[in-house]
Amino acid sequence: MEESLSTAPLAMDGGKILIADDDRLNIRILAGILKREGYAVFDADTGEKALARYAEVQPNVVLLDVMMPGIDGFETCRRLKQQYADKCAPVIFITAKNDSDDVVAGLSAGGVDYLPKPFNPKEVVARIRTHLQNQRLVAEQQRLVEQLSRANSAKNRFLGMAAHDLRNPLASIRGLAEFLRDGTVGPLSADQLDLVTTIHGASQSMLDLVNELLDVATIEAGELKVVLVDADLGELIAKSVMLTNIEAAKKNTRVVLQAHDPVKVRIDPAKMKQVIDNLLSNAVKYSPPGSTVTSFITRATDSAAVTFSVRDEGPGIPADERDKLFKDFSRLSVQPTAGEKSTGLGLAICRKIVEAHRGTIDAFNLPTRGCEFRVTLPQPA
Amino acid sequence: MNFTGTILIVDDEAHIRKFVTLILRSIGVANVVEASNGAEALQTYQRINPDVVLLDVNMPQMDGIETLRKLKAIDPDCFAIMLTSLANRSTVEQALELGASNYIRKDTPKEEIAKALADTLSAAFDAGDETPAA
Repeated sequence: MEESLSTAPLAMDGGKILIADDDRLNIRILAGILKREGYAVFDADTGEKALARYAEVQPNVVLLDVMMPGIDGFETCRRLKQQYADKCAPVIFITAKNDSDDVVAGLSAGGVDYLPKPFNPKEVVARIRTHLQNQRLVAEQQRLVEQLSRANSAKNRFLGMAAHDLRNPLASIRGLAEFLRDGTVGPLSADQLDLVTTIHGASQSMLDLVNELLDVATIEAGELKVVLVDADLGELIAKSVMLTNIEAAKKNTRVVLQAHDPVKVRIDPAKMKQVIDNLLSNAVKYSPPGSTVTSFITRATDSAAVTFSVRDEGPGIPADERDKLFKDFSRLSVQPTAGEKSTGLGLAICRKIVEAHRGTIDAFNLPTRGCEFRVTLPQPA
Repeated sequence: MNFTGTILIVDDEAHIRKFVTLILRSIGVANVVEASNGAEALQTYQRINPDVVLLDVNMPQMDGIETLRKLKAIDPDCFAIMLTSLANRSTVEQALELGASNYIRKDTPKEEIAKALADTLSAAFDAGDETPAA
Protein backbone atom coordinates (compact mmCIF):
# COMPACT_ATOMS: atom_id res chain seq x y z
CA MET A 1 0.00 0.00 0.00
CA GLU A 2 2.64 2.47 1.05
CA GLU A 3 4.90 1.38 -1.77
CA SER A 4 2.20 2.02 -4.32
CA LEU A 5 2.42 5.77 -3.64
CA SER A 6 4.70 7.33 -6.16
CA THR A 7 7.55 9.02 -4.36
CA ALA A 8 9.80 9.22 -7.37
CA PRO A 9 8.83 12.69 -8.54
CA LEU A 10 8.90 13.96 -4.96
CA ALA A 11 12.29 12.52 -4.26
CA MET A 12 13.72 13.91 -7.44
CA ASP A 13 11.83 17.13 -7.62
CA GLY A 14 11.78 18.71 -4.21
CA GLY A 15 12.72 16.02 -1.76
CA LYS A 16 15.11 18.18 0.28
CA ILE A 17 14.96 17.62 4.01
CA LEU A 18 16.69 19.72 6.66
CA ILE A 19 17.31 18.06 10.05
CA ALA A 20 18.31 20.17 13.05
CA ASP A 21 19.36 18.23 16.13
CA ASP A 22 22.29 18.60 18.54
CA ASP A 23 22.39 14.81 18.91
CA ARG A 24 24.52 13.47 16.03
CA LEU A 25 23.06 10.01 16.54
CA ASN A 26 19.51 11.19 15.83
CA ILE A 27 20.69 12.88 12.66
CA ARG A 28 22.52 9.79 11.55
CA ILE A 29 19.46 7.54 12.10
CA LEU A 30 17.03 9.90 10.37
CA ALA A 31 19.43 10.62 7.50
CA GLY A 32 19.87 6.88 7.00
CA ILE A 33 16.13 6.27 6.78
CA LEU A 34 15.51 9.22 4.48
CA LYS A 35 18.45 8.72 2.12
CA ARG A 36 17.27 5.17 1.47
CA GLU A 37 13.99 6.69 0.30
CA GLY A 38 15.86 8.92 -2.13
CA TYR A 39 15.59 12.22 -0.27
CA ALA A 40 18.43 14.72 -0.15
CA VAL A 41 19.30 15.33 3.51
CA PHE A 42 20.93 18.43 5.04
CA ASP A 43 21.73 18.91 8.72
CA ALA A 44 22.48 21.48 11.41
CA ASP A 45 23.31 21.05 15.10
CA THR A 46 21.84 24.33 16.42
CA GLY A 47 18.77 26.47 15.71
CA GLU A 48 20.88 29.34 14.37
CA LYS A 49 22.71 27.03 11.96
CA ALA A 50 19.34 25.57 10.88
CA LEU A 51 18.10 29.06 9.94
CA ALA A 52 21.26 29.70 7.88
CA ARG A 53 21.06 26.27 6.27
CA TYR A 54 17.37 26.80 5.45
CA ALA A 55 18.15 29.99 3.56
CA GLU A 56 20.89 28.18 1.67
CA VAL A 57 19.13 24.96 0.59
CA GLN A 58 15.42 25.94 0.72
CA PRO A 59 14.30 22.53 1.97
CA ASN A 60 10.84 21.04 1.43
CA VAL A 61 10.51 19.73 4.98
CA VAL A 62 12.26 20.71 8.22
CA LEU A 63 12.75 18.29 11.13
CA LEU A 64 13.45 20.21 14.36
CA ASP A 65 14.64 18.88 17.67
CA VAL A 66 13.04 20.72 20.59
CA MET A 67 16.02 21.00 22.96
CA MET A 68 19.08 22.51 21.36
CA PRO A 69 21.80 24.82 22.64
CA GLY A 70 21.13 28.47 21.72
CA ILE A 71 17.62 29.05 20.41
CA ASP A 72 15.43 26.00 20.88
CA GLY A 73 13.31 24.25 18.26
CA PHE A 74 10.15 26.26 19.02
CA GLU A 75 11.96 29.57 18.58
CA THR A 76 13.65 28.33 15.41
CA CYS A 77 10.25 27.39 14.05
CA ARG A 78 8.72 30.78 14.94
CA ARG A 79 11.59 32.58 13.19
CA LEU A 80 11.20 30.45 10.08
CA LYS A 81 7.45 31.17 9.97
CA GLN A 82 8.07 34.86 10.53
CA GLN A 83 10.63 35.07 7.77
CA TYR A 84 9.06 32.85 5.12
CA ALA A 85 5.35 33.10 6.09
CA ASP A 86 3.17 31.12 3.65
CA LYS A 87 6.18 29.97 1.66
CA CYS A 88 7.76 28.27 4.69
CA ALA A 89 8.31 24.51 4.38
CA PRO A 90 6.34 22.35 6.84
CA VAL A 91 8.13 21.93 10.18
CA ILE A 92 8.00 18.60 12.01
CA PHE A 93 9.20 18.44 15.62
CA ILE A 94 11.32 15.62 17.00
CA THR A 95 9.93 14.89 20.47
CA ALA A 96 10.45 12.41 23.21
CA LYS A 97 7.81 9.69 23.22
CA ASN A 98 4.60 10.71 25.00
CA ASP A 99 5.77 14.23 25.77
CA SER A 100 2.43 15.83 24.99
CA ASP A 101 3.52 19.24 26.34
CA ASP A 102 6.23 19.42 23.67
CA VAL A 103 3.78 18.25 21.02
CA VAL A 104 1.29 20.99 21.90
CA ALA A 105 3.99 23.67 22.16
CA GLY A 106 5.40 22.55 18.81
CA LEU A 107 2.06 22.71 17.05
CA SER A 108 1.33 26.17 18.48
CA ALA A 109 4.78 27.40 17.37
CA GLY A 110 3.73 26.60 13.81
CA GLY A 111 4.75 22.96 13.44
CA VAL A 112 2.53 20.67 11.39
CA ASP A 113 3.42 17.35 13.01
CA TYR A 114 5.84 15.55 15.36
CA LEU A 115 8.06 12.47 15.24
CA PRO A 116 8.40 10.62 18.54
CA LYS A 117 11.76 9.14 19.52
CA PRO A 118 12.81 6.38 19.23
CA PHE A 119 12.15 6.53 15.48
CA ASN A 120 10.04 3.98 13.68
CA PRO A 121 11.43 4.08 10.10
CA LYS A 122 8.05 3.35 8.46
CA GLU A 123 6.36 6.07 10.49
CA VAL A 124 9.10 8.59 9.68
CA VAL A 125 8.82 7.89 5.97
CA ALA A 126 5.01 7.91 5.95
CA ARG A 127 4.69 11.20 7.82
CA ILE A 128 7.30 12.96 5.74
CA ARG A 129 5.80 11.68 2.53
CA THR A 130 2.38 12.96 3.59
CA HIS A 131 3.69 16.42 4.34
CA LEU A 132 5.70 16.59 1.14
CA GLN A 133 2.61 15.69 -0.83
CA ASN A 134 0.60 18.23 1.10
CA GLN A 135 3.16 20.87 0.45
CA ARG A 136 3.27 20.02 -3.23
CA LEU A 137 -0.52 20.28 -3.44
CA VAL A 138 -0.53 23.64 -1.68
CA ALA A 139 2.18 24.94 -4.03
CA GLU A 140 0.23 23.59 -7.00
CA GLN A 141 -2.92 25.26 -5.72
CA GLN A 142 -1.13 28.57 -5.28
CA ARG A 143 0.23 28.29 -8.80
CA LEU A 144 -3.24 27.58 -10.18
CA VAL A 145 -4.82 30.44 -8.26
CA GLU A 146 -2.18 32.80 -9.63
CA GLN A 147 -2.71 31.43 -13.12
CA LEU A 148 -6.48 31.84 -12.80
CA SER A 149 -6.25 35.36 -11.57
CA ARG A 150 -3.89 36.21 -14.46
CA ALA A 151 -6.31 34.57 -16.89
CA ASN A 152 -9.20 36.45 -15.34
CA SER A 153 -7.57 39.82 -15.73
CA ALA A 154 -6.60 38.93 -19.30
CA LYS A 155 -10.26 38.09 -19.90
CA ASN A 156 -11.34 41.44 -18.48
CA ARG A 157 -8.80 43.29 -20.60
CA PHE A 158 -9.95 41.45 -23.68
CA LEU A 159 -13.62 41.96 -22.84
CA GLY A 160 -12.99 45.65 -22.33
CA MET A 161 -11.08 45.98 -25.58
CA ALA A 162 -13.61 44.04 -27.60
CA ALA A 163 -16.56 45.92 -26.15
CA HIS A 164 -14.77 49.20 -26.67
CA ASP A 165 -14.03 48.48 -30.32
CA LEU A 166 -17.57 47.26 -30.96
CA ARG A 167 -19.24 50.34 -29.56
CA ASN A 168 -18.45 52.82 -32.33
CA PRO A 169 -19.58 50.76 -35.30
CA LEU A 170 -22.68 49.65 -33.39
CA ALA A 171 -23.56 53.20 -32.47
CA SER A 172 -23.17 54.12 -36.15
CA ILE A 173 -25.34 51.24 -37.34
CA ARG A 174 -28.03 52.22 -34.88
CA GLY A 175 -27.80 55.90 -35.83
CA LEU A 176 -27.75 55.25 -39.58
CA ALA A 177 -30.75 52.94 -39.22
CA GLU A 178 -32.55 55.74 -37.38
CA PHE A 179 -31.88 58.14 -40.23
CA LEU A 180 -33.36 55.63 -42.68
CA ARG A 181 -36.32 54.81 -40.42
CA ASP A 182 -37.18 58.44 -39.82
CA GLY A 183 -37.26 59.15 -43.54
CA THR A 184 -34.42 61.68 -43.35
CA VAL A 185 -32.92 60.33 -46.55
CA GLY A 186 -36.17 59.72 -48.39
CA PRO A 187 -39.43 57.80 -47.94
CA LEU A 188 -39.42 54.03 -47.39
CA SER A 189 -41.93 51.37 -48.36
CA ALA A 190 -43.66 49.47 -45.55
CA ASP A 191 -41.38 46.44 -46.11
CA GLN A 192 -38.27 48.57 -46.11
CA LEU A 193 -39.40 50.33 -42.96
CA ASP A 194 -39.97 46.96 -41.30
CA LEU A 195 -36.44 45.81 -42.15
CA VAL A 196 -34.83 49.02 -41.01
CA THR A 197 -36.77 48.91 -37.75
CA THR A 198 -35.48 45.39 -37.19
CA ILE A 199 -31.89 46.49 -37.87
CA HIS A 200 -32.34 49.38 -35.47
CA GLY A 201 -33.77 47.16 -32.75
CA ALA A 202 -31.04 44.56 -33.12
CA SER A 203 -28.23 47.11 -33.05
CA GLN A 204 -29.80 48.76 -30.01
CA SER A 205 -29.91 45.51 -28.01
CA MET A 206 -26.36 44.66 -29.09
CA LEU A 207 -25.20 48.08 -27.97
CA ASP A 208 -26.90 47.53 -24.60
CA LEU A 209 -25.14 44.20 -24.28
CA VAL A 210 -21.77 45.68 -25.21
CA ASN A 211 -22.28 48.49 -22.70
CA GLU A 212 -23.08 46.02 -19.97
CA LEU A 213 -20.05 43.87 -20.85
CA LEU A 214 -17.93 46.97 -20.68
CA ASP A 215 -19.39 47.77 -17.25
CA VAL A 216 -18.60 44.27 -16.04
CA ALA A 217 -15.06 44.44 -17.41
CA THR A 218 -14.52 47.81 -15.75
CA ILE A 219 -15.96 46.66 -12.46
CA GLU A 220 -14.05 43.38 -12.42
CA ALA A 221 -10.80 45.12 -13.23
CA GLY A 222 -11.39 46.99 -9.98
CA GLU A 223 -11.92 50.24 -11.82
CA LEU A 224 -15.39 50.94 -10.45
CA LYS A 225 -14.94 54.16 -8.53
CA VAL A 226 -17.86 55.93 -6.96
CA VAL A 227 -17.53 59.63 -6.35
CA LEU A 228 -19.96 60.53 -3.58
CA VAL A 229 -21.69 63.90 -3.73
CA ASP A 230 -24.81 65.34 -2.09
CA ALA A 231 -27.82 64.61 -4.26
CA ASP A 232 -31.58 64.38 -4.00
CA LEU A 233 -32.44 60.71 -4.42
CA GLY A 234 -36.12 61.55 -4.96
CA GLU A 235 -35.31 63.85 -7.85
CA LEU A 236 -33.01 61.25 -9.41
CA ILE A 237 -35.70 58.57 -9.19
CA ALA A 238 -38.40 60.92 -10.47
CA LYS A 239 -36.35 61.54 -13.64
CA SER A 240 -35.85 57.81 -14.21
CA VAL A 241 -39.54 57.14 -13.57
CA MET A 242 -40.45 59.71 -16.21
CA LEU A 243 -38.18 58.12 -18.83
CA THR A 244 -39.16 54.55 -17.94
CA ASN A 245 -42.80 55.50 -18.36
CA ILE A 246 -42.19 56.17 -22.06
CA GLU A 247 -41.18 52.52 -22.57
CA ALA A 248 -43.80 51.28 -20.10
CA ALA A 249 -46.59 53.04 -21.97
CA LYS A 250 -45.90 50.78 -24.96
CA LYS A 251 -47.20 47.85 -22.92
CA ASN A 252 -49.84 49.83 -21.10
CA THR A 253 -47.92 49.66 -17.83
CA ARG A 254 -47.54 52.54 -15.42
CA VAL A 255 -44.61 53.47 -13.20
CA VAL A 256 -45.37 55.63 -10.20
CA LEU A 257 -43.19 57.20 -7.52
CA GLN A 258 -44.91 57.76 -4.20
CA ALA A 259 -44.78 61.28 -2.81
CA HIS A 260 -41.84 62.05 -0.55
CA ASP A 261 -39.92 64.95 0.96
CA PRO A 262 -36.56 65.82 -0.60
CA VAL A 263 -34.18 62.96 0.24
CA LYS A 264 -30.63 64.21 0.49
CA VAL A 265 -28.11 61.40 0.17
CA ARG A 266 -24.38 60.94 -0.47
CA ILE A 267 -24.20 58.98 -3.73
CA ASP A 268 -22.55 58.85 -7.12
CA PRO A 269 -25.56 60.11 -9.08
CA ALA A 270 -24.57 58.70 -12.50
CA LYS A 271 -23.82 55.24 -11.07
CA MET A 272 -26.92 55.21 -8.87
CA LYS A 273 -29.03 56.29 -11.83
CA GLN A 274 -27.84 53.13 -13.59
CA VAL A 275 -29.16 51.06 -10.65
CA ILE A 276 -32.49 52.91 -10.55
CA ASP A 277 -32.97 52.65 -14.33
CA ASN A 278 -32.20 48.97 -14.21
CA LEU A 279 -34.60 48.16 -11.39
CA LEU A 280 -37.40 50.20 -12.95
CA SER A 281 -36.99 48.80 -16.44
CA ASN A 282 -36.70 45.27 -15.04
CA ALA A 283 -39.95 45.76 -13.16
CA VAL A 284 -41.62 46.93 -16.35
CA LYS A 285 -40.10 44.04 -18.33
CA TYR A 286 -41.61 41.41 -16.04
CA SER A 287 -44.93 43.15 -15.42
CA PRO A 288 -48.13 41.99 -17.06
CA PRO A 289 -49.60 44.60 -19.42
CA GLY A 290 -51.96 46.96 -17.64
CA SER A 291 -50.22 46.67 -14.28
CA THR A 292 -48.51 49.27 -12.13
CA VAL A 293 -44.89 49.46 -10.94
CA THR A 294 -44.60 51.33 -7.67
CA SER A 295 -41.42 52.91 -6.33
CA PHE A 296 -40.97 54.59 -2.98
CA ILE A 297 -38.28 55.87 -0.64
CA THR A 298 -38.13 55.20 3.07
CA ARG A 299 -35.72 56.50 5.64
CA ALA A 300 -34.76 54.48 8.70
CA THR A 301 -36.12 56.08 11.89
CA ASP A 302 -32.58 56.81 13.07
CA SER A 303 -31.81 58.30 9.62
CA ALA A 304 -28.78 56.01 9.32
CA ALA A 305 -29.98 54.56 6.02
CA VAL A 306 -32.16 55.38 3.06
CA THR A 307 -34.07 52.66 1.28
CA PHE A 308 -35.36 52.77 -2.25
CA SER A 309 -37.88 50.11 -3.28
CA VAL A 310 -39.43 49.03 -6.56
CA ARG A 311 -42.52 46.80 -6.53
CA ASP A 312 -44.04 45.09 -9.52
CA GLU A 313 -47.10 42.93 -10.08
CA GLY A 314 -45.27 40.28 -12.11
CA PRO A 315 -44.82 36.56 -11.47
CA GLY A 316 -42.22 37.08 -8.71
CA ILE A 317 -38.90 35.28 -8.29
CA PRO A 318 -38.94 31.47 -8.29
CA ALA A 319 -37.78 30.41 -4.82
CA ASP A 320 -35.00 28.15 -6.10
CA GLU A 321 -33.59 30.86 -8.38
CA ARG A 322 -33.22 33.60 -5.81
CA ASP A 323 -29.51 32.86 -5.33
CA LYS A 324 -28.81 33.43 -9.01
CA LEU A 325 -30.44 36.82 -9.11
CA PHE A 326 -27.43 39.07 -8.57
CA LYS A 327 -24.80 36.94 -10.32
CA ASP A 328 -23.14 37.54 -13.71
CA PHE A 329 -24.96 36.13 -16.74
CA SER A 330 -27.75 34.55 -14.73
CA ARG A 331 -31.08 34.67 -16.40
CA LEU A 332 -34.07 33.31 -14.55
CA SER A 333 -36.72 31.02 -15.98
CA VAL A 334 -39.18 33.92 -15.75
CA GLN A 335 -39.64 35.59 -19.13
CA PRO A 336 -40.21 39.27 -19.93
CA THR A 337 -43.87 39.84 -20.78
CA ALA A 338 -43.41 41.58 -24.13
CA GLY A 339 -40.41 39.75 -25.60
CA GLU A 340 -37.87 42.20 -24.14
CA LYS A 341 -34.24 41.17 -24.07
CA SER A 342 -32.14 40.46 -21.01
CA THR A 343 -28.38 40.01 -20.83
CA GLY A 344 -28.35 38.63 -17.32
CA LEU A 345 -25.79 41.25 -16.35
CA GLY A 346 -27.99 44.13 -15.21
CA LEU A 347 -28.60 43.04 -11.62
CA ALA A 348 -25.00 41.87 -11.19
CA ILE A 349 -23.88 45.37 -12.17
CA CYS A 350 -26.47 46.89 -9.80
CA ARG A 351 -25.15 44.81 -6.95
CA LYS A 352 -21.57 45.86 -7.62
CA ILE A 353 -22.51 49.54 -7.82
CA VAL A 354 -24.59 49.34 -4.62
CA GLU A 355 -21.78 47.52 -2.83
CA ALA A 356 -19.33 50.19 -3.93
CA HIS A 357 -21.66 52.57 -2.04
CA ARG A 358 -21.40 50.19 0.95
CA GLY A 359 -25.10 49.52 0.56
CA THR A 360 -27.13 46.37 0.08
CA ILE A 361 -29.53 45.18 -2.59
CA ASP A 362 -32.12 42.52 -1.99
CA ALA A 363 -35.23 41.09 -3.55
CA PHE A 364 -38.21 39.21 -2.20
CA ASN A 365 -41.65 38.14 -3.30
CA LEU A 366 -44.70 39.99 -2.06
CA PRO A 367 -47.47 38.07 -0.25
CA THR A 368 -50.09 38.32 -2.98
CA ARG A 369 -48.17 38.74 -6.23
CA GLY A 370 -45.12 40.45 -7.67
CA CYS A 371 -41.83 41.17 -5.98
CA GLU A 372 -39.94 44.01 -4.42
CA PHE A 373 -36.35 45.03 -5.06
CA ARG A 374 -34.85 47.05 -2.26
CA VAL A 375 -31.66 49.11 -2.23
CA THR A 376 -30.46 50.30 1.16
CA LEU A 377 -27.80 52.98 1.33
CA PRO A 378 -26.13 53.81 4.62
CA GLN A 379 -26.01 57.54 5.31
CA PRO A 380 -23.51 59.15 7.64
CA ALA A 381 -25.26 61.03 10.44
CA MET B 1 -29.33 77.32 -36.45
CA ASN B 2 -27.66 79.87 -38.59
CA PHE B 3 -24.46 78.18 -39.69
CA THR B 4 -23.57 78.36 -43.38
CA GLY B 5 -19.88 77.53 -43.16
CA THR B 6 -17.96 74.44 -44.23
CA ILE B 7 -17.13 71.57 -41.90
CA LEU B 8 -14.29 69.11 -42.40
CA ILE B 9 -14.86 65.70 -40.81
CA VAL B 10 -11.70 63.73 -40.10
CA ASP B 11 -12.21 60.10 -39.09
CA ASP B 12 -10.60 56.89 -40.33
CA GLU B 13 -13.93 55.05 -40.15
CA ALA B 14 -16.25 55.63 -43.11
CA HIS B 15 -19.40 54.80 -41.13
CA ILE B 16 -18.62 57.51 -38.61
CA ARG B 17 -18.03 60.07 -41.38
CA LYS B 18 -21.33 59.10 -42.97
CA PHE B 19 -23.18 59.13 -39.64
CA VAL B 20 -21.83 62.52 -38.60
CA THR B 21 -22.52 63.96 -42.07
CA LEU B 22 -26.18 62.95 -41.74
CA ILE B 23 -26.35 64.44 -38.26
CA LEU B 24 -24.87 67.69 -39.56
CA ARG B 25 -27.35 67.72 -42.40
CA SER B 26 -30.18 67.21 -39.89
CA ILE B 27 -29.19 70.39 -38.07
CA GLY B 28 -28.92 72.31 -41.30
CA VAL B 29 -25.23 72.09 -42.15
CA ALA B 30 -24.94 71.52 -45.89
CA ASN B 31 -21.25 71.97 -46.66
CA VAL B 32 -19.43 68.94 -45.36
CA VAL B 33 -16.07 67.62 -46.58
CA GLU B 34 -14.49 64.37 -45.41
CA ALA B 35 -10.92 63.24 -44.78
CA SER B 36 -9.98 59.74 -43.71
CA ASN B 37 -6.63 60.41 -42.04
CA GLY B 38 -4.50 63.13 -40.53
CA ALA B 39 -2.32 63.77 -43.58
CA GLU B 40 -5.35 64.10 -45.83
CA ALA B 41 -6.94 66.41 -43.26
CA LEU B 42 -3.95 68.78 -43.36
CA GLN B 43 -3.97 68.90 -47.17
CA THR B 44 -7.72 69.41 -47.36
CA TYR B 45 -7.61 72.08 -44.66
CA GLN B 46 -5.08 74.11 -46.61
CA ARG B 47 -7.00 73.66 -49.85
CA ILE B 48 -10.55 74.55 -48.70
CA ASN B 49 -9.93 76.40 -45.41
CA PRO B 50 -13.03 75.05 -43.60
CA ASP B 51 -14.71 76.92 -40.72
CA VAL B 52 -14.80 73.93 -38.42
CA VAL B 53 -12.88 70.65 -38.16
CA LEU B 54 -14.48 67.63 -36.49
CA LEU B 55 -11.46 65.56 -35.54
CA ASP B 56 -11.37 61.93 -34.45
CA VAL B 57 -8.98 61.33 -31.56
CA ASN B 58 -8.08 57.74 -32.25
CA MET B 59 -6.62 57.26 -35.75
CA PRO B 60 -3.78 55.07 -36.99
CA GLN B 61 -0.49 56.72 -38.02
CA MET B 62 -1.20 60.36 -37.22
CA ASP B 63 -3.66 60.49 -34.32
CA GLY B 64 -6.10 63.31 -33.58
CA ILE B 65 -3.83 65.04 -31.09
CA GLU B 66 -0.92 65.13 -33.55
CA THR B 67 -3.22 66.27 -36.36
CA LEU B 68 -4.61 69.02 -34.12
CA ARG B 69 -1.09 70.19 -33.26
CA LYS B 70 -0.21 70.43 -36.97
CA LEU B 71 -3.51 72.14 -37.84
CA LYS B 72 -2.85 74.74 -35.15
CA ALA B 73 0.64 75.27 -36.57
CA ILE B 74 -0.86 75.95 -40.00
CA ASP B 75 -3.71 78.09 -38.63
CA PRO B 76 -3.68 79.12 -34.96
CA ASP B 77 -7.36 80.16 -35.25
CA CYS B 78 -8.45 76.74 -36.52
CA PHE B 79 -11.77 75.82 -34.83
CA ALA B 80 -11.64 72.12 -33.93
CA ILE B 81 -14.12 69.86 -32.15
CA MET B 82 -12.74 66.49 -31.08
CA LEU B 83 -14.70 63.30 -31.77
CA THR B 84 -14.15 60.74 -29.01
CA SER B 85 -15.70 57.45 -28.05
CA LEU B 86 -15.64 56.47 -24.38
CA ALA B 87 -14.50 59.81 -23.02
CA ASN B 88 -10.84 59.46 -22.35
CA ARG B 89 -10.33 62.36 -19.99
CA SER B 90 -6.60 62.76 -20.36
CA THR B 91 -6.73 62.78 -24.16
CA VAL B 92 -9.62 65.24 -24.14
CA GLU B 93 -7.78 67.51 -21.71
CA GLN B 94 -4.69 67.36 -23.91
CA ALA B 95 -6.77 68.34 -26.94
CA LEU B 96 -8.41 71.25 -25.11
CA GLU B 97 -4.99 72.46 -23.96
CA LEU B 98 -3.82 72.38 -27.58
CA GLY B 99 -6.72 74.67 -28.44
CA ALA B 100 -9.60 72.37 -29.40
CA SER B 101 -12.90 74.16 -28.75
CA ASN B 102 -14.92 71.21 -27.51
CA TYR B 103 -15.33 67.46 -27.71
CA ILE B 104 -18.24 65.26 -28.68
CA ARG B 105 -18.89 61.62 -27.80
CA LYS B 106 -19.74 59.81 -31.01
CA ASP B 107 -21.09 56.69 -29.25
CA THR B 108 -24.08 58.55 -27.83
CA PRO B 109 -27.56 58.68 -29.46
CA LYS B 110 -27.70 60.89 -32.53
CA GLU B 111 -30.02 63.40 -30.89
CA GLU B 112 -27.38 64.09 -28.25
CA ILE B 113 -24.64 64.44 -30.85
CA ALA B 114 -26.85 66.73 -32.91
CA LYS B 115 -27.63 68.91 -29.90
CA ALA B 116 -24.01 69.11 -28.80
CA LEU B 117 -22.90 70.08 -32.32
CA ALA B 118 -25.69 72.63 -32.76
CA ASP B 119 -24.96 74.20 -29.37
CA THR B 120 -21.24 74.45 -30.04
CA LEU B 121 -21.69 75.83 -33.55
CA SER B 122 -24.35 78.39 -32.63
CA ALA B 123 -22.39 79.57 -29.59
CA ALA B 124 -19.35 80.17 -31.76
CA PHE B 125 -20.83 81.28 -35.08
CA ASP B 126 -24.35 82.64 -34.64
CA ALA B 127 -22.96 85.94 -33.39
CA GLY B 128 -23.50 87.30 -36.89
CA ASP B 129 -20.43 86.52 -38.97
CA GLU B 130 -18.51 83.36 -39.55
CA THR B 131 -15.49 83.91 -37.41
CA PRO B 132 -15.47 82.27 -34.01
CA ALA B 133 -17.00 84.53 -31.38
CA ALA B 134 -14.13 83.99 -28.99
